[in-house]
Amino acid sequence: MPLDGAQASNTAVATRRILEVRDLTVRMGPQEILRGVSLDVAEGAIVAVLGANGVGKTTLMRALSGIYRTSGGATVFDGEDMTDSPSHEVVRRGLAQAPEGRQIFGTMTVRENLLLGGRTLRHDRAARMERMLELFPRLRERLTQKAGSLSGGEQQMLCIARALMSKPRLLLLDEPSLGLAPMVVKQIFDLLVQIRSEGTSILLVEQNARAALRVADHAYVMEAGRVTLSGSAADLAADPRVRAAYLGG
Amino acid sequence: MVFDVFFLQQVINGLSIGCVYALMAIGFTLIFGVLNVVNFAHGEVYTIGAFVGLMVITALAPPLLAVVPLVLAVGAVSGVGLERIAFRPFRRFTDEASQKSRAMREATLLSSLAVSIVTREIMMHIFGGDMQGIPSGYLLQQPVAIGPIMVASGSLVIFATSAVMLGALQFLLYRTQTGLGIRAVSNNQLGARYVGINTDRTIVTTFAVGSMLGATAGILVGLYDGAISPHMGFAPGVKAFVAMVMGGLSSIPGAVACALLLGVSESIATEFLSSGWKDLITYSLLVITLVFFPQGLFGHGRERA
Repeated sequence: MPLDGAQASNTAVATRRILEVRDLTVRMGPQEILRGVSLDVAEGAIVAVLGANGVGKTTLMRALSGIYRTSGGATVFDGEDMTDSPSHEVVRRGLAQAPEGRQIFGTMTVRENLLLGGRTLRHDRAARMERMLELFPRLRERLTQKAGSLSGGEQQMLCIARALMSKPRLLLLDEPSLGLAPMVVKQIFDLLVQIRSEGTSILLVEQNARAALRVADHAYVMEAGRVTLSGSAADLAADPRVRAAYLGG
Repeated sequence: MVFDVFFLQQVINGLSIGCVYALMAIGFTLIFGVLNVVNFAHGEVYTIGAFVGLMVITALAPPLLAVVPLVLAVGAVSGVGLERIAFRPFRRFTDEASQKSRAMREATLLSSLAVSIVTREIMMHIFGGDMQGIPSGYLLQQPVAIGPIMVASGSLVIFATSAVMLGALQFLLYRTQTGLGIRAVSNNQLGARYVGINTDRTIVTTFAVGSMLGATAGILVGLYDGAISPHMGFAPGVKAFVAMVMGGLSSIPGAVACALLLGVSESIATEFLSSGWKDLITYSLLVITLVFFPQGLFGHGRERA
């Protein structure tokens, strides 16, 4: 890690930030979906963004991955500006996403899906795939099957493994628990801790606040395109407003 | 007796015409795959391939084998140019509403039709609307005897070239990073962006590859038929389009099988009907397929078709 200029001052702070989002706004036609969102992800942290349907969580994730263009604000990734970088540039720089709806390649094999996830790796693609198959042993049994034939949980695992194939510094996860049985959700969230221990920070968007706060270090609550609450996961889990609105009292 | 030597010859002729339709149908299918839009200017790429081939032959008199790589290059360049002019301008609207909008897809379709008409008119202006003869030294019409069957050398050249190009295409699509990218963009464009594929570049590559096949088909037919004209791309373009639809829009093996089926049916039909009726066969097959197999003969229900 080079320690020149701006980066040196960053490392001086106890926790270095892998991602800084400043006043990000996104418009869709006449509507402003994100109205100035700011958040940080510390290096090595799991950060959760909570909120109900339609508050702009997925829009935020898509803007970070370069799928949507922003209309204001800035994102800084690993100390360098990344505002409105095209999606292929974003992945190359070390930010990968397991998106909402999974977006796997259903007519292609599990193996091909993983290879595509690792296409930015110059070498060691085979070793990386082997690591993914250790992490998600179910995928090994399905390696030559079409991705579209997998169960929902397996597809979600494939989606996460595909994103991790690129050895990202930061993994974005958009609703990984959606439509999955509680057992599978637990399994996937347990893996997040392990993924983090291998050097990938995680920014997680969830409606399942209970599961998210269990693994997260820090969390933000979004309402109507803005961050309205933030704090350590433990503090938020104890906060009466969060308990009432997201944890069922 | 139907299964006589003449019948076999007709089948072989039909297969070679079918190969030409197949080369074109693959271009249609590849481009439809990555964009979900029909490229109506594909027939003009075929014509351009034939004309550039003829110009080079008359100007430089190169060996026949040297013409093919040149036509491939011309095909690639015209494909890339076509994508820039007729398709890319409509892709700057990247928000979800325009990507799902019908109007946007239809605008793209019409712009490719416009480019097709303009290109044809320009060629008419330069070369005139008449048939242009191919110098006799390059004609592929020598009869070759295979047992009792006489086959034109052109048929054999078309078979060989098609086989090589199909093999190369399979290699590209299934054994290279580029091909993996093309298949990924065809399957799920949004997913492709999430894994870091430069979708614009992939689309350009697809146009180049599809147009290489189309341009090659054009020069092969020119050398086989012995004459070319600015209108020559229309009929095979329509046939290839029919083959793509019958094949299920997104299936390359399906498009190839249907193209061969069309070629053979047309060829056999001329034995029973006057040749003016052969197009009837193509369109009847299309209608029958669409009525009884609305997903095409090889379609597997594309999400957005």
